[in-house]
Amino acid sequence: MNRTLIVARLQFVAWCSVVGWPWGILMLSFLINVALFSTIGDSEDFEPRTGGLVSIYIVMFIASINAITQDFPFALGLGVSRRSFYLGNVLNYAGQAISYAAVLYLLAVIEEATDGWGVNLLFFGLPFLVVDNPVLRFLSFALPFLLLGFVGIAIALVFKRWGVNGMLTLSTTALAGLGGLVVLANWRGWWSVIGGWLADQPGWALLVGWPALLTLPLAGISYLIIRRATP
Amino acid sequence: MSAVIAVTDLTKRYRGVTALDGISFSLAENRIHGLLGRNGAGKTTLMQILTGQHFATSGQVSVFGQHPYENEQVLARMSFIKESQTYPTNLRVTHVLRAARLVYPSWNEEFAQRLVEVFQLPRGRNVRKLSRGMLSALGIVVGLASRAPLTFFDEPYLGLDAVARQHFYDHLLADYTEHPRTIVLSTHLIDEVSDLIEHVLLLDRGRLLLDVEAEALRGQVVTVSGPVAAVQEFARTGTELHRASLGGTTRLTVRGDFGPAAQDRARALGLVLEASSLQDIVVRLSTATDSSTPTPAGVTSEETIR
Repeated sequence: MNRTLIVARLQFVAWCSVVGWPWGILMLSFLINVALFSTIGDSEDFEPRTGGLVSIYIVMFIASINAITQDFPFALGLGVSRRSFYLGNVLNYAGQAISYAAVLYLLAVIEEATDGWGVNLLFFGLPFLVVDNPVLRFLSFALPFLLLGFVGIAIALVFKRWGVNGMLTLSTTALAGLGGLVVLANWRGWWSVIGGWLADQPGWALLVGWPALLTLPLAGISYLIIRRATP
Repeated sequence: MSAVIAVTDLTKRYRGVTALDGISFSLAENRIHGLLGRNGAGKTTLMQILTGQHFATSGQVSVFGQHPYENEQVLARMSFIKESQTYPTNLRVTHVLRAARLVYPSWNEEFAQRLVEVFQLPRGRNVRKLSRGMLSALGIVVGLASRAPLTFFDEPYLGLDAVARQHFYDHLLADYTEHPRTIVLSTHLIDEVSDLIEHVLLLDRGRLLLDVEAEALRGQVVTVSGPVAAVQEFARTGTELHRASLGGTTRLTVRGDFGPAAQDRARALGLVLEASSLQDIVVRLSTATDSSTPTPAGVTSEETIR
Protein backbone atom coordinates (compact mmCIF):
# COMPACT_ATOMS: atom_id res chain seq x y z
CA MET A 1 0.00 0.00 0.00
CA ASN A 2 2.83 2.30 0.96
CA ARG A 3 4.53 1.82 -2.41
CA THR A 4 1.22 2.44 -4.18
CA LEU A 5 0.97 5.84 -2.53
CA ILE A 6 4.56 6.56 -3.49
CA VAL A 7 3.76 5.86 -7.16
CA ALA A 8 0.73 8.14 -7.03
CA ARG A 9 2.95 10.88 -5.60
CA LEU A 10 5.69 10.03 -8.09
CA GLN A 11 3.40 11.04 -10.94
CA PHE A 12 2.84 14.38 -9.29
CA VAL A 13 6.48 15.43 -8.90
CA ALA A 14 5.91 17.73 -11.87
CA TRP A 15 2.37 18.54 -10.76
CA CYS A 16 2.38 21.87 -12.58
CA SER A 17 2.34 20.15 -15.95
CA VAL A 18 0.08 17.31 -14.78
CA VAL A 19 -2.67 19.69 -13.62
CA GLY A 20 -1.74 22.60 -15.82
CA TRP A 21 -2.26 21.04 -19.25
CA PRO A 22 -5.83 19.75 -18.89
CA TRP A 23 -7.11 22.80 -17.01
CA GLY A 24 -5.09 25.29 -19.01
CA ILE A 25 -6.51 24.04 -22.30
CA LEU A 26 -10.03 23.84 -20.88
CA MET A 27 -9.85 27.37 -19.46
CA LEU A 28 -8.43 28.75 -22.70
CA SER A 29 -11.23 27.11 -24.64
CA PHE A 30 -13.76 28.48 -22.16
CA LEU A 31 -12.44 32.04 -22.27
CA ILE A 32 -12.39 32.06 -26.05
CA ASN A 33 -15.99 30.85 -26.09
CA VAL A 34 -17.14 33.49 -23.59
CA ALA A 35 -15.33 36.22 -25.53
CA LEU A 36 -16.67 34.94 -28.83
CA PHE A 37 -20.29 34.70 -27.78
CA SER A 38 -20.31 37.99 -25.90
CA THR A 39 -19.37 39.75 -29.15
CA ILE A 40 -22.07 38.02 -31.22
CA GLY A 41 -25.60 36.78 -30.72
CA ASP A 42 -27.62 39.32 -28.78
CA SER A 43 -30.97 37.64 -29.26
CA GLU A 44 -32.54 36.17 -26.14
CA ASP A 45 -33.32 32.74 -27.51
CA PHE A 46 -29.81 32.13 -28.84
CA GLU A 47 -28.15 29.57 -26.59
CA PRO A 48 -24.65 28.75 -27.87
CA ARG A 49 -23.43 25.21 -27.25
CA THR A 50 -19.84 24.13 -27.47
CA GLY A 51 -17.96 20.90 -27.24
CA GLY A 52 -15.15 22.59 -25.36
CA LEU A 53 -15.62 20.43 -22.29
CA VAL A 54 -14.34 17.46 -24.28
CA SER A 55 -10.82 18.96 -24.36
CA ILE A 56 -10.11 18.08 -20.72
CA TYR A 57 -11.14 14.47 -21.36
CA ILE A 58 -8.93 14.27 -24.42
CA VAL A 59 -5.94 15.62 -22.49
CA MET A 60 -6.52 13.04 -19.77
CA PHE A 61 -6.72 10.30 -22.39
CA ILE A 62 -3.35 11.34 -23.81
CA ALA A 63 -1.91 11.56 -20.30
CA SER A 64 -2.98 7.98 -19.64
CA ILE A 65 -1.12 6.81 -22.75
CA ASN A 66 1.96 8.71 -21.60
CA ALA A 67 1.68 7.04 -18.21
CA ILE A 68 2.43 3.70 -19.84
CA THR A 69 4.90 4.78 -22.52
CA GLN A 70 6.90 7.18 -20.30
CA ASP A 71 6.11 6.81 -16.57
CA PHE A 72 6.11 3.01 -16.61
CA PRO A 73 9.74 2.55 -17.77
CA PHE A 74 10.83 5.34 -15.42
CA ALA A 75 9.05 3.89 -12.38
CA LEU A 76 10.29 0.36 -13.03
CA GLY A 77 13.78 1.79 -13.49
CA LEU A 78 13.45 3.19 -9.99
CA GLY A 79 12.60 -0.25 -8.61
CA VAL A 80 8.82 0.01 -8.42
CA SER A 81 6.91 -3.22 -8.99
CA ARG A 82 4.38 -3.50 -11.81
CA ARG A 83 1.64 -4.07 -9.27
CA SER A 84 2.50 -0.93 -7.31
CA PHE A 85 2.79 1.08 -10.49
CA TYR A 86 -0.62 -0.08 -11.66
CA LEU A 87 -2.35 0.50 -8.33
CA GLY A 88 -0.67 3.88 -7.94
CA ASN A 89 -1.93 4.81 -11.37
CA VAL A 90 -5.48 3.73 -10.51
CA LEU A 91 -5.31 5.76 -7.31
CA ASN A 92 -4.01 8.72 -9.25
CA TYR A 93 -6.82 8.48 -11.83
CA ALA A 94 -9.52 8.01 -9.24
CA GLY A 95 -8.23 11.03 -7.35
CA GLN A 96 -8.10 13.18 -10.46
CA ALA A 97 -11.50 11.97 -11.70
CA ILE A 98 -13.15 12.78 -8.36
CA SER A 99 -11.55 16.18 -7.87
CA TYR A 100 -11.89 17.25 -11.50
CA ALA A 101 -15.53 16.10 -11.58
CA ALA A 102 -16.19 18.12 -8.43
CA VAL A 103 -14.75 21.27 -10.02
CA LEU A 104 -16.63 20.70 -13.28
CA TYR A 105 -19.87 20.13 -11.37
CA LEU A 106 -19.32 23.35 -9.47
CA LEU A 107 -18.63 25.25 -12.69
CA ALA A 108 -21.80 23.77 -14.25
CA VAL A 109 -23.81 24.97 -11.26
CA ILE A 110 -22.30 28.46 -11.54
CA GLU A 111 -23.04 28.39 -15.25
CA GLU A 112 -26.71 27.76 -14.55
CA ALA A 113 -26.89 30.40 -11.83
CA THR A 114 -25.31 33.07 -14.02
CA ASP A 115 -27.47 32.30 -17.06
CA GLY A 116 -24.54 30.91 -18.96
CA TRP A 117 -21.90 33.41 -17.83
CA GLY A 118 -24.15 36.26 -18.90
CA VAL A 119 -24.12 35.18 -22.56
CA ASN A 120 -26.38 32.10 -22.36
CA LEU A 121 -23.34 29.92 -22.95
CA LEU A 122 -23.66 26.20 -22.30
CA PHE A 123 -20.06 25.14 -21.76
CA PHE A 124 -19.89 22.92 -18.66
CA GLY A 125 -23.47 21.72 -18.78
CA LEU A 126 -24.57 19.16 -21.32
CA PRO A 127 -27.20 20.20 -23.90
CA PHE A 128 -28.67 16.68 -23.95
CA LEU A 129 -28.31 13.70 -21.63
CA VAL A 130 -29.84 15.52 -18.68
CA VAL A 131 -28.99 14.00 -15.31
CA ASP A 132 -31.01 15.42 -12.41
CA ASN A 133 -29.87 13.34 -9.47
CA PRO A 134 -26.88 15.24 -7.97
CA VAL A 135 -24.88 12.09 -7.19
CA LEU A 136 -25.41 10.72 -10.69
CA ARG A 137 -24.64 14.10 -12.15
CA PHE A 138 -21.34 14.18 -10.27
CA LEU A 139 -20.57 10.65 -11.47
CA SER A 140 -21.46 11.60 -15.03
CA PHE A 141 -18.50 13.99 -14.91
CA ALA A 142 -16.22 11.47 -13.19
CA LEU A 143 -16.85 8.16 -14.98
CA PRO A 144 -15.89 9.29 -18.49
CA PHE A 145 -12.50 10.30 -17.02
CA LEU A 146 -11.98 6.80 -15.70
CA LEU A 147 -13.19 5.15 -18.90
CA LEU A 148 -10.89 7.19 -21.13
CA GLY A 149 -8.01 6.70 -18.69
CA PHE A 150 -8.34 2.93 -18.80
CA VAL A 151 -8.89 2.84 -22.57
CA GLY A 152 -5.61 4.79 -22.90
CA ILE A 153 -3.80 2.48 -20.48
CA ALA A 154 -5.07 -0.66 -22.20
CA ILE A 155 -4.12 0.51 -25.69
CA ALA A 156 -0.68 1.71 -24.59
CA LEU A 157 -0.08 -1.57 -22.76
CA VAL A 158 -0.86 -3.59 -25.88
CA PHE A 159 1.82 -1.53 -27.62
CA LYS A 160 4.24 -1.86 -24.69
CA ARG A 161 3.89 -5.60 -24.49
CA TRP A 162 3.39 -6.71 -28.10
CA GLY A 163 4.85 -3.78 -30.01
CA VAL A 164 3.73 -2.63 -33.44
CA ASN A 165 2.42 -6.10 -34.34
CA GLY A 166 0.18 -6.01 -31.29
CA MET A 167 -1.20 -2.62 -32.27
CA LEU A 168 -1.84 -3.78 -35.84
CA THR A 169 -3.59 -6.89 -34.61
CA LEU A 170 -5.68 -4.86 -32.18
CA SER A 171 -6.72 -2.26 -34.77
CA THR A 172 -7.40 -4.92 -37.42
CA THR A 173 -9.57 -6.85 -35.00
CA ALA A 174 -11.40 -3.70 -33.93
CA LEU A 175 -11.93 -2.65 -37.56
CA ALA A 176 -13.17 -6.07 -38.62
CA GLY A 177 -15.42 -6.35 -35.57
CA LEU A 178 -17.01 -2.91 -35.88
CA GLY A 179 -17.20 -3.10 -39.67
CA GLY A 180 -18.87 -6.49 -39.40
CA LEU A 181 -21.43 -5.12 -36.97
CA VAL A 182 -22.22 -2.19 -39.28
CA VAL A 183 -22.69 -4.54 -42.24
CA LEU A 184 -24.84 -6.80 -40.11
CA ALA A 185 -26.95 -3.86 -38.91
CA ASN A 186 -27.41 -2.62 -42.50
CA TRP A 187 -28.30 -6.05 -43.79
CA ARG A 188 -30.83 -6.81 -41.06
CA GLY A 189 -32.14 -3.23 -40.96
CA TRP A 190 -31.35 -2.78 -37.26
CA TRP A 191 -30.51 0.89 -37.34
CA SER A 192 -33.91 2.17 -36.25
CA VAL A 193 -33.94 -0.31 -33.38
CA ILE A 194 -30.43 0.76 -32.33
CA GLY A 195 -31.31 4.43 -32.61
CA GLY A 196 -34.45 3.90 -30.58
CA TRP A 197 -32.56 1.98 -27.92
CA LEU A 198 -29.97 4.76 -27.62
CA ALA A 199 -32.68 7.40 -27.42
CA ASP A 200 -34.44 5.43 -24.70
CA GLN A 201 -31.32 5.23 -22.55
CA PRO A 202 -31.43 7.77 -19.74
CA GLY A 203 -28.53 10.25 -19.56
CA TRP A 204 -27.03 8.62 -16.50
CA ALA A 205 -26.90 5.24 -18.21
CA LEU A 206 -24.84 6.61 -21.09
CA LEU A 207 -22.58 8.74 -18.89
CA VAL A 208 -22.30 6.59 -15.77
CA GLY A 209 -23.67 3.09 -16.19
CA TRP A 210 -22.15 1.99 -19.47
CA PRO A 211 -18.77 3.68 -18.84
CA ALA A 212 -18.57 1.89 -15.49
CA LEU A 213 -19.43 -1.44 -17.12
CA LEU A 214 -16.70 -0.91 -19.73
CA THR A 215 -14.10 0.43 -17.28
CA LEU A 216 -14.16 -2.60 -14.99
CA PRO A 217 -13.13 -5.26 -17.56
CA LEU A 218 -10.58 -2.87 -19.09
CA ALA A 219 -9.03 -2.37 -15.65
CA GLY A 220 -8.85 -6.12 -15.13
CA ILE A 221 -7.35 -6.84 -18.54
CA SER A 222 -4.82 -4.01 -18.12
CA TYR A 223 -3.65 -5.48 -14.83
CA LEU A 224 -3.11 -8.89 -16.43
CA ILE A 225 -1.16 -7.35 -19.32
CA ILE A 226 1.06 -5.14 -17.17
CA ARG A 227 2.11 -8.03 -14.95
CA ARG A 228 4.10 -9.50 -17.84
CA ALA A 229 5.08 -6.25 -19.57
CA THR A 230 8.71 -5.18 -19.76
CA PRO A 231 9.78 -1.54 -19.51
CA MET B 1 30.34 -13.16 3.67
CA SER B 2 26.81 -13.97 2.58
CA ALA B 3 25.68 -14.01 -1.03
CA VAL B 4 23.39 -11.19 -2.14
CA ILE B 5 22.77 -12.72 -5.54
CA ALA B 6 22.61 -16.38 -6.39
CA VAL B 7 22.03 -17.48 -9.98
CA THR B 8 21.66 -21.10 -11.02
CA ASP B 9 21.61 -22.34 -14.60
CA LEU B 10 20.07 -19.11 -15.90
CA THR B 11 19.08 -19.12 -19.56
CA LYS B 12 17.43 -16.37 -21.58
CA ARG B 13 16.41 -16.91 -25.17
CA TYR B 14 14.94 -14.32 -27.48
CA ARG B 15 13.69 -15.37 -30.88
CA GLY B 16 16.57 -17.48 -32.13
CA VAL B 17 19.14 -15.75 -29.94
CA THR B 18 20.50 -17.18 -26.74
CA ALA B 19 21.39 -14.14 -24.66
CA LEU B 20 22.29 -16.13 -21.55
CA ASP B 21 23.29 -19.76 -21.78
CA GLY B 22 22.94 -21.63 -18.49
CA ILE B 23 25.08 -19.45 -16.26
CA SER B 24 25.54 -19.94 -12.53
CA PHE B 25 27.30 -17.73 -10.01
CA SER B 26 26.83 -15.92 -6.75
CA LEU B 27 27.87 -12.45 -5.64
CA ALA B 28 29.07 -11.70 -2.12
CA GLU B 29 27.70 -8.85 -0.04
CA ASN B 30 29.38 -5.45 0.27
CA ARG B 31 31.84 -5.75 -2.57
CA ILE B 32 32.34 -4.12 -5.95
CA HIS B 33 31.75 -6.63 -8.71
CA GLY B 34 32.81 -5.94 -12.27
CA LEU B 35 30.51 -7.38 -14.92
CA LEU B 36 32.62 -7.41 -18.06
CA GLY B 37 32.17 -8.58 -21.59
CA ARG B 38 31.78 -7.45 -25.15
CA ASN B 39 28.71 -5.84 -26.68
CA GLY B 40 25.96 -8.40 -26.85
CA ALA B 41 27.60 -10.64 -24.27
CA GLY B 42 24.42 -10.62 -22.17
CA LYS B 43 25.41 -8.15 -19.42
CA THR B 44 22.33 -5.93 -19.66
CA THR B 45 20.00 -8.90 -20.06
CA LEU B 46 21.45 -10.43 -16.90
CA MET B 47 20.93 -7.24 -14.90
CA GLN B 48 17.40 -6.81 -16.25
CA ILE B 49 16.52 -10.29 -15.04
CA LEU B 50 18.20 -9.74 -11.67
CA THR B 51 16.13 -6.57 -11.17
CA GLY B 52 12.88 -8.28 -12.14
CA GLN B 53 12.44 -6.17 -15.26
CA HIS B 54 12.78 -9.02 -17.73
CA PHE B 55 11.88 -12.68 -17.53
CA ALA B 56 14.23 -15.63 -17.58
CA THR B 57 13.56 -18.51 -19.96
CA SER B 58 14.77 -21.01 -17.39
CA GLY B 59 16.94 -21.24 -14.30
CA GLN B 60 16.79 -19.80 -10.81
CA VAL B 61 17.53 -16.28 -9.63
CA SER B 62 17.67 -15.24 -6.01
CA VAL B 63 18.34 -11.72 -4.75
CA PHE B 64 18.53 -11.17 -0.99
CA GLY B 65 17.34 -14.77 -0.76
CA GLN B 66 14.13 -14.18 -2.75
CA HIS B 67 12.98 -13.96 -6.32
CA PRO B 68 13.03 -10.32 -7.44
CA TYR B 69 9.98 -10.42 -9.75
CA GLU B 70 7.27 -8.16 -8.31
CA ASN B 71 8.92 -8.54 -4.91
CA GLU B 72 8.58 -5.17 -3.23
CA GLN B 73 10.94 -6.04 -0.38
CA VAL B 74 13.71 -6.94 -2.80
CA LEU B 75 13.04 -4.20 -5.35
CA ALA B 76 13.09 -1.45 -2.72
CA ARG B 77 16.65 -2.44 -1.83
CA MET B 78 17.95 -2.26 -5.39
CA SER B 79 18.96 0.55 -7.68
CA PHE B 80 19.55 -0.12 -11.38
CA ILE B 81 21.17 2.65 -13.38
CA LYS B 82 21.28 1.88 -17.05
CA GLU B 83 22.53 3.76 -20.03
CA SER B 84 19.21 3.28 -21.83
CA GLN B 85 17.04 4.69 -19.03
CA THR B 86 14.32 7.00 -20.32
CA TYR B 87 12.58 9.72 -18.36
CA PRO B 88 9.08 11.19 -18.75
CA THR B 89 9.50 14.16 -21.06
CA ASN B 90 7.78 16.64 -18.75
CA LEU B 91 10.37 16.17 -15.97
CA ARG B 92 13.22 18.47 -15.06
CA VAL B 93 16.41 17.42 -13.30
CA THR B 94 14.96 18.42 -9.90
CA HIS B 95 11.83 16.36 -10.59
CA VAL B 96 13.88 13.24 -11.30
CA LEU B 97 15.78 13.72 -8.05
CA ARG B 98 12.53 14.29 -6.15
CA ALA B 99 11.11 11.09 -7.65
CA ALA B 100 14.22 9.16 -6.62
CA ARG B 101 13.97 10.61 -3.10
CA LEU B 102 10.38 9.36 -2.85
CA VAL B 103 11.21 5.86 -4.00
CA TYR B 104 14.55 4.93 -2.41
CA PRO B 105 14.35 4.31 1.35
CA SER B 106 18.08 5.01 1.89
CA TRP B 107 18.20 8.12 -0.32
CA ASN B 108 20.57 10.82 0.93
CA GLU B 109 19.48 14.25 -0.22
CA GLU B 110 22.57 16.07 0.98
CA PHE B 111 24.82 13.68 -0.97
CA ALA B 112 22.60 14.04 -4.05
CA GLN B 113 22.85 17.82 -3.97
CA ARG B 114 26.62 17.62 -3.55
CA LEU B 115 26.86 15.31 -6.59
CA VAL B 116 24.67 17.65 -8.65
CA GLU B 117 27.28 20.35 -7.97
CA VAL B 118 30.16 18.01 -8.77
CA PHE B 119 28.69 17.04 -12.14
CA GLN B 120 27.44 20.59 -12.77
CA LEU B 121 23.94 19.44 -13.58
CA PRO B 122 21.47 22.22 -14.45
CA ARG B 123 18.69 21.61 -11.91
CA GLY B 124 15.96 23.43 -13.79
CA ARG B 125 16.61 21.91 -17.19
CA ASN B 126 14.14 19.54 -18.82
CA VAL B 127 15.55 16.01 -19.19
CA ARG B 128 14.86 16.12 -22.94
CA LYS B 129 17.32 18.99 -23.28
CA LEU B 130 20.18 17.32 -21.41
CA SER B 131 23.22 16.24 -23.37
CA ARG B 132 24.15 12.55 -23.45
CA GLY B 133 26.83 13.15 -20.84
CA MET B 134 24.46 15.07 -18.55
CA LEU B 135 21.87 12.27 -18.78
CA SER B 136 24.56 9.82 -17.75
CA ALA B 137 25.58 12.10 -14.88
CA LEU B 138 21.97 12.30 -13.73
CA GLY B 139 21.80 8.50 -13.64
CA ILE B 140 25.04 8.38 -11.66
CA VAL B 141 23.73 10.90 -9.12
CA VAL B 142 20.55 8.85 -8.67
CA GLY B 143 22.51 5.60 -8.39
CA LEU B 144 25.03 6.88 -5.86
CA ALA B 145 22.63 8.93 -3.71
CA SER B 146 20.12 6.06 -3.58
CA ARG B 147 22.62 4.23 -1.35
CA ALA B 148 20.70 1.08 -2.22
CA PRO B 149 22.14 -2.05 -0.59
CA LEU B 150 22.45 -3.46 -4.11
CA THR B 151 23.32 -1.01 -6.88
CA PHE B 152 23.72 -1.89 -10.55
CA PHE B 153 25.53 0.46 -12.90
CA ASP B 154 25.15 -0.61 -16.52
CA GLU B 155 27.56 1.38 -18.71
CA PRO B 156 26.77 4.41 -16.55
CA TYR B 157 28.96 6.92 -18.29
CA LEU B 158 28.19 7.14 -21.97
CA GLY B 159 29.22 10.60 -23.17
CA LEU B 160 30.98 11.54 -19.94
CA ASP B 161 34.42 13.10 -20.21
CA ALA B 162 37.48 11.73 -18.42
CA VAL B 163 37.23 14.26 -15.57
CA ALA B 164 33.61 13.41 -14.86
CA ARG B 165 34.39 9.71 -15.01
CA GLN B 166 37.14 10.21 -12.45
CA HIS B 167 34.64 12.07 -10.26
CA PHE B 168 32.36 9.07 -10.52
CA TYR B 169 35.09 6.61 -9.49
CA ASP B 170 36.23 8.83 -6.61
CA HIS B 171 32.76 9.38 -5.20
CA LEU B 172 31.79 5.76 -5.72
CA LEU B 173 34.82 4.54 -3.81
CA ALA B 174 34.57 7.16 -1.03
CA ASP B 175 30.86 6.57 -0.45
CA TYR B 176 31.27 2.81 -0.73
CA THR B 177 33.95 2.87 1.94
CA GLU B 178 31.77 4.93 4.25
CA HIS B 179 28.52 3.10 3.46
CA PRO B 180 29.42 -0.42 2.36
CA ARG B 181 27.03 -1.95 -0.13
CA THR B 182 27.04 -4.35 -3.03
CA ILE B 183 27.84 -2.75 -6.35
CA VAL B 184 27.71 -4.36 -9.77
CA LEU B 185 29.51 -2.29 -12.35
CA SER B 186 29.25 -3.15 -16.01
CA THR B 187 31.63 -1.32 -18.31
CA HIS B 188 33.83 -1.42 -21.37
CA LEU B 189 36.45 0.85 -19.83
CA ILE B 190 38.15 -2.00 -18.04
CA ASP B 191 41.50 -0.33 -17.45
CA GLU B 192 39.81 2.58 -15.70
CA VAL B 193 37.95 0.41 -13.23
CA SER B 194 40.50 -2.34 -12.73
CA ASP B 195 41.63 -0.88 -9.40
CA LEU B 196 38.05 -0.48 -8.25
CA ILE B 197 36.78 -3.97 -8.97
CA GLU B 198 37.18 -6.63 -6.31
CA HIS B 199 35.50 -9.48 -8.13
CA VAL B 200 35.24 -10.14 -11.86
CA LEU B 201 32.47 -11.75 -13.88
CA LEU B 202 33.27 -12.08 -17.56
CA LEU B 203 30.46 -12.89 -19.95
CA ASP B 204 31.03 -13.92 -23.53
CA ARG B 205 28.11 -14.67 -25.85
CA GLY B 206 25.87 -15.65 -22.98
CA ARG B 207 28.37 -17.84 -21.20
CA LEU B 208 30.37 -17.13 -18.08
CA LEU B 209 34.10 -17.15 -18.87
CA LEU B 210 35.36 -15.87 -15.54
CA ASP B 211 34.02 -15.78 -12.01
CA VAL B 212 37.07 -14.92 -9.94
CA GLU B 213 38.54 -12.52 -7.40
CA ALA B 214 40.31 -9.66 -9.14
CA GLU B 215 43.35 -10.12 -6.95
CA ALA B 216 43.65 -13.80 -7.78
CA LEU B 217 43.15 -13.12 -11.49
CA ARG B 218 45.98 -10.62 -11.64
CA GLY B 219 48.55 -13.30 -10.77
CA GLN B 220 46.81 -15.93 -12.87
CA VAL B 221 47.39 -14.55 -16.30
CA VAL B 222 50.89 -13.57 -17.32
CA THR B 223 52.71 -12.79 -20.50
CA VAL B 224 56.08 -14.44 -20.81
CA SER B 225 58.59 -13.86 -23.59
CA GLY B 226 61.94 -15.36 -24.56
CA PRO B 227 63.37 -18.35 -26.42
CA VAL B 228 60.70 -20.78 -27.62
CA ALA B 229 61.92 -23.78 -25.66
CA ALA B 230 62.24 -21.86 -22.40
CA VAL B 231 58.78 -20.32 -22.81
CA GLN B 232 57.38 -23.77 -23.50
CA GLU B 233 59.01 -25.08 -20.35
CA PHE B 234 57.69 -22.23 -18.23
CA ALA B 235 54.13 -22.41 -19.55
CA ARG B 236 53.85 -26.18 -19.33
CA THR B 237 51.32 -26.08 -16.49
CA GLY B 238 49.19 -23.25 -17.81
CA THR B 239 46.58 -22.73 -20.49
CA GLU B 240 47.77 -20.88 -23.53
CA LEU B 241 45.64 -17.88 -24.44
CA HIS B 242 47.69 -16.10 -27.06
CA ARG B 243 50.98 -16.70 -28.80
CA ALA B 244 53.08 -14.50 -31.03
CA SER B 245 56.32 -15.87 -32.45
CA LEU B 246 59.10 -14.10 -34.23
CA GLY B 247 62.16 -16.05 -35.23
CA GLY B 248 63.37 -18.00 -32.24
CA THR B 249 61.53 -15.98 -29.63
CA THR B 250 57.96 -16.34 -28.49
CA ARG B 251 55.61 -14.07 -26.56
CA LEU B 252 53.02 -16.14 -24.80
CA THR B 253 50.01 -15.11 -22.74
CA VAL B 254 49.17 -17.94 -20.43
CA ARG B 255 46.71 -18.62 -17.65
CA GLY B 256 47.65 -20.83 -14.77
CA ASP B 257 48.38 -21.04 -11.11
CA PHE B 258 51.54 -18.97 -10.99
CA GLY B 259 52.59 -18.29 -7.42
CA PRO B 260 55.11 -15.72 -6.20
CA ALA B 261 57.85 -18.15 -7.19
CA ALA B 262 57.02 -17.67 -10.88
CA GLN B 263 59.07 -14.51 -11.08
CA ASP B 264 62.19 -16.36 -9.91
CA ARG B 265 61.47 -19.31 -12.18
CA ALA B 266 61.15 -17.02 -15.18
CA ARG B 267 64.39 -15.28 -14.34
CA ALA B 268 66.18 -18.59 -13.97
CA LEU B 269 64.97 -19.60 -17.45
CA GLY B 270 66.08 -16.25 -18.84
CA LEU B 271 62.52 -15.10 -19.58
CA VAL B 272 60.77 -11.78 -19.22
CA LEU B 273 57.58 -12.04 -17.19
CA GLU B 274 54.82 -9.43 -17.17
CA ALA B 275 51.58 -9.53 -15.30
CA SER B 276 48.71 -8.92 -17.69
CA SER B 277 46.37 -6.03 -17.06
CA LEU B 278 42.71 -6.79 -16.44
CA GLN B 279 41.90 -5.38 -19.86
CA ASP B 280 44.44 -7.67 -21.55
CA ILE B 281 43.06 -10.65 -19.71
CA VAL B 282 39.51 -9.85 -20.78
CA VAL B 283 40.52 -9.28 -24.38
CA ARG B 284 42.61 -12.47 -24.51
CA LEU B 285 39.92 -14.60 -22.91
CA SER B 286 37.15 -13.16 -25.07
CA THR B 287 39.08 -13.55 -28.31
CA ALA B 288 40.40 -16.99 -27.39
CA THR B 289 36.86 -18.33 -27.82
CA ASP B 290 36.13 -16.19 -30.84
CA SER B 291 36.87 -18.17 -33.99
CA SER B 292 36.17 -15.15 -36.19
CA THR B 293 39.26 -13.33 -34.94
CA PRO B 294 41.82 -13.26 -37.73
CA THR B 295 45.00 -15.05 -36.74
CA PRO B 296 48.14 -13.39 -38.06
CA ALA B 297 50.96 -15.56 -39.27
CA GLY B 298 52.83 -17.15 -36.41
CA VAL B 299 50.07 -16.43 -33.94
CA THR B 300 47.88 -19.19 -32.64
CA SER B 301 44.89 -19.00 -30.38
CA GLU B 302 43.65 -21.84 -28.35
CA GLU B 303 40.26 -22.53 -26.84
CA THR B 304 40.24 -21.68 -23.16
CA ILE B 305 38.88 -23.99 -20.59
CA ARG B 306 37.33 -22.59 -17.45
